[in-house]
Amino acid sequence: MIKVRKKSGIQRRYLQYTIFLLAIALLMSSVGVWFYMRENLSGAIIDKYEFMDEKMGLALDNLYRKTDEATAACIVDDALQKSLQAEPLNDNEQVALSKYFAYIDLDCVSEYCYVDNKENVYTRSYSSLSYQTFEESGFAGKLGGEYAKTKWIWAEDTLFGTGEMALFVGRYVRSMDYAHEPGMLFLKMDDSFFDEILGEGAGVDEDTIVGIIDGQGELCTSWFPQDYHMDQKNVDLLKSLADSDERGMLLGGSQVEGGVMSVYRQAESNLAVFTYVPNKVLNQGLTRILLVMAGIYLVVILIAVNLSIYFSLRFTRPIQEITRAMTSFDGNDFSQTIELQTHTELDQIGHSYNEMLGNIQQLLEEIKDQQKELRTSELNMLISQINPHFLYNTLDTIYMLARINKEETTMKMIQALSKYLRLSLSKGSDMVTVQDELENVKSYMEIQQIRNENLFQYTIDCRVEAADTWILKLILQPLVENAVKYGFCDIFEGGQIRITVEKEEDQLFFCVFNNGKSMEAETVEKLNSLSRMPLTEMKECFPDRKHGYGLVNIITRLRLKYGERVAFYYESGPEGTTCFIKVPQDGKEYE
Amino acid sequence: MNNRKKCNKKRLTLLLLAAAMIGLISGCGKQADQEQETVSEAIKIPMVLTVDPSTGNKNEEKLVEAFNKTYEGIYKVEVEWAMETEEEYRQNLKRLNVADQLPTVMTDLRMLPSFYQMMIQDGRLEDLAPYIAADPQWQEMIEPVVLEGCSEADGSVYLAPLSTAAFSCSGVFWNEELFAQAGITTFPETWEDFWACCEKLQESNITPLALHTEGTAWAPMLFATAELASTREGASFMKETYPASYNNENGIHMAETLQKLFSYTTENALHTDYDVAYDNFFSGRAAMIPNGYWMMDQIPAEWAAKVHFAPFPGNVLISSPETFGWSLKAGCSPEVKEGAIAFLKFRTQLNQEEKQQLFDESAEGKSQAEQDYLVAYEANPQIVPNYQVKWNSILQEETLGDYLPELATGEISPEQFVQYEDESIEEFQREQ
Repeated sequence: MIKVRKKSGIQRRYLQYTIFLLAIALLMSSVGVWFYMRENLSGAIIDKYEFMDEKMGLALDNLYRKTDEATAACIVDDALQKSLQAEPLNDNEQVALSKYFAYIDLDCVSEYCYVDNKENVYTRSYSSLSYQTFEESGFAGKLGGEYAKTKWIWAEDTLFGTGEMALFVGRYVRSMDYAHEPGMLFLKMDDSFFDEILGEGAGVDEDTIVGIIDGQGELCTSWFPQDYHMDQKNVDLLKSLADSDERGMLLGGSQVEGGVMSVYRQAESNLAVFTYVPNKVLNQGLTRILLVMAGIYLVVILIAVNLSIYFSLRFTRPIQEITRAMTSFDGNDFSQTIELQTHTELDQIGHSYNEMLGNIQQLLEEIKDQQKELRTSELNMLISQINPHFLYNTLDTIYMLARINKEETTMKMIQALSKYLRLSLSKGSDMVTVQDELENVKSYMEIQQIRNENLFQYTIDCRVEAADTWILKLILQPLVENAVKYGFCDIFEGGQIRITVEKEEDQLFFCVFNNGKSMEAETVEKLNSLSRMPLTEMKECFPDRKHGYGLVNIITRLRLKYGERVAFYYESGPEGTTCFIKVPQDGKEYE
Repeated sequence: MNNRKKCNKKRLTLLLLAAAMIGLISGCGKQADQEQETVSEAIKIPMVLTVDPSTGNKNEEKLVEAFNKTYEGIYKVEVEWAMETEEEYRQNLKRLNVADQLPTVMTDLRMLPSFYQMMIQDGRLEDLAPYIAADPQWQEMIEPVVLEGCSEADGSVYLAPLSTAAFSCSGVFWNEELFAQAGITTFPETWEDFWACCEKLQESNITPLALHTEGTAWAPMLFATAELASTREGASFMKETYPASYNNENGIHMAETLQKLFSYTTENALHTDYDVAYDNFFSGRAAMIPNGYWMMDQIPAEWAAKVHFAPFPGNVLISSPETFGWSLKAGCSPEVKEGAIAFLKFRTQLNQEEKQQLFDESAEGKSQAEQDYLVAYEANPQIVPNYQVKWNSILQEETLGDYLPELATGEISPEQFVQYEDESIEEFQREQ
């Protein structure tokens, strides 16, 4: 069973891009190297053989010049000049002249033959070449129409009778002073004559063809690899070049059938030196280099892939860890935090995740608490909805009894309580008109006035359209309750409660003033801070649940209803204590 | 939407790849071939000229430079400057011919009669007659006597002529100071006076003549042939081409004159060439040296005032204007031939301009010898042909060199000398 290791998406992508980029880089560098090497390596080989060919050509030039100088020295020799004069040479002079050619300044002369203008033939002493043989050999006509130029003749040796193909250096010998018939000089060169050129061609690849060809297409000498035959097209090309009138490098590493060819034509000798480099030789070095390159690239790819995996893992592991933590989060277990030490931005992501987890946990708890409270409220609400009829009927009965008994105070109190309860319940809606809210607080204050006779007087100054302006219900009653409970705790009469409702710009502005005991600055500060702290923390401010519960309730409900557009604060002075509430004007919209 | 994005990505990738590849390929490719400037090379006209061994001056350098400047970029006369005597140069010409390495334009061919004839027979020289005939401007530049001298009997012209014969005359350069030391103020006008002058100079311990025996014995032969032409018979003899014999009154008289001349010369005159004679004259060791106008350029500046020129006694000047004719090698490529012909015509034109300049200039700009030369040329002199164009080569190149020293020293008599001269005729005839 093959175990497949699943790669992360990022790592897979990373590897894909790395391999893609690497492939492009390698492809481009391969192409570049291919072109460069092809230009340079092949160029170097071509240049080498072109240079070699030119060197051999120049060696051929030099060789021709040597033969030219050697024969020129012969021509102007007194003995040869004398042999052309009217008076024949005597026997001694003839013998001397026959030996003369054996000492000319030219190597590789295997045989020589000089025929003067009186049909005398001068050769090596052992040779028995007669004028008739000379005539029959056909060599007399090989010098052609030249006046006295040195001529190289690649021909069958019919002169000395060997029948082999050989190189002959021939030249007319003309009189320096008189218009005599010319003599003819032929030097037969031995096989080593071209060795000087061979020397220039040292270091030839075994598959390369080097040779010398004459104008008739005859190969004078050549170095062919075994079992190799030159293409007929190339042979024809060589022949045409050797037979042309041009001189010097006629082809310099030019592309021909199956390879490249360089040709140097030595014009005076009518011979051409050529080198033919088959494509096989040209591509040898290139193939080797490409193989080495392929090996290097393979190693580079392996290293690159491994390094890519290694480096990608360093980043993908933390990401995988984050992913795992996120995907495995079930909403209950908040202990699965992430601990990263990559020294990259991933650490920040992990830290943020942990913070987010904490916040979620806190929010969840808040929601739970709120839901719990909500359920309790709903329950209370349901209970309170069940009882009102019974409560109202009971209160009506008590009211009737008080009326029968003419108990004015009891009647008044029952009436106020009934109104208060009706407004407090308000059929389950949490938004009421300012008018109802004021009626509610008014009922409450009237009850309190009955309970605490002469303790306080109240005034309500409403400067808004009370019937058309909405407000969260039961926000004023707890304030008045606190004013009576704490503000008037030290007096028995003369208390004043003043409630003001007005509009400021687009806000409703409630003020509840009492002239009782001034609230301590510490308490003012504590109560004012409630508006700035998180909802969940507000309850913690009054852990005994005996004090401040009503205010916390108001602020909580206001903030839940109006959000951050609520202002709630106390001001305390010598005259008394004022509580201010600012809410958006059109509270109905928040219903 | 996503597909389109993918397509765009692929296109972008392909474009980038293609751009990179093109950049890579072009980067790796050969650099653009530089534009090859096609410089048209001037057609070269090979020539061999000599550097005067005595003065170090390059002969005809002015002509070559003027032509190359005029025809810059079209033709260029490429000179191989040879530090050799005229004799060596002429022998070298023969060697170059048999080696088939002749330069395109050749000088002095007419100084080598048999070689010149051989060259014509072997078709080695270009016949210039059609080119001169086809160019009236060129034809008009050439004095009839010069063109006649350069023409063969069949009308062909193998020697490109100068414009005038005015520069081809030979006379005697003499040292005024040495003459004055001997109490002589003027150059002798008769041969009697000439010999008396020599005597007087010798009596004053002054060597009268700067002579030599090699190189066709030019200096002594000028005196001897001029002297020979002082008689009617002698003058007729000098007009003969390839005389049948020297064993006659004229031949013997000339030999006697030669013998006599060498009694008034320096000790180093034998077996030496003209350069030795030149040195003897311009070092003050000899009072007279015969030569042509061309030696004006070879007179050292400090000698310009004291060297005079005079015709040979009897108001004789030796001149064969054809000896100044230059030849054109046959078988050149049409371009080279055209250039060479332009060069030869240019030479004729320059010569014409030089003549006008010489005769138009006042005396102030001329040396004493030039002034004397003009006076001599315009004094209706007797013109005697140059023996070099009339006599056989063997006599000039071998016999004179071999036997003149013996004649000079008295080892052989004038009669024997003329016999050797006749032998040269026989040999020459055999070789023809």
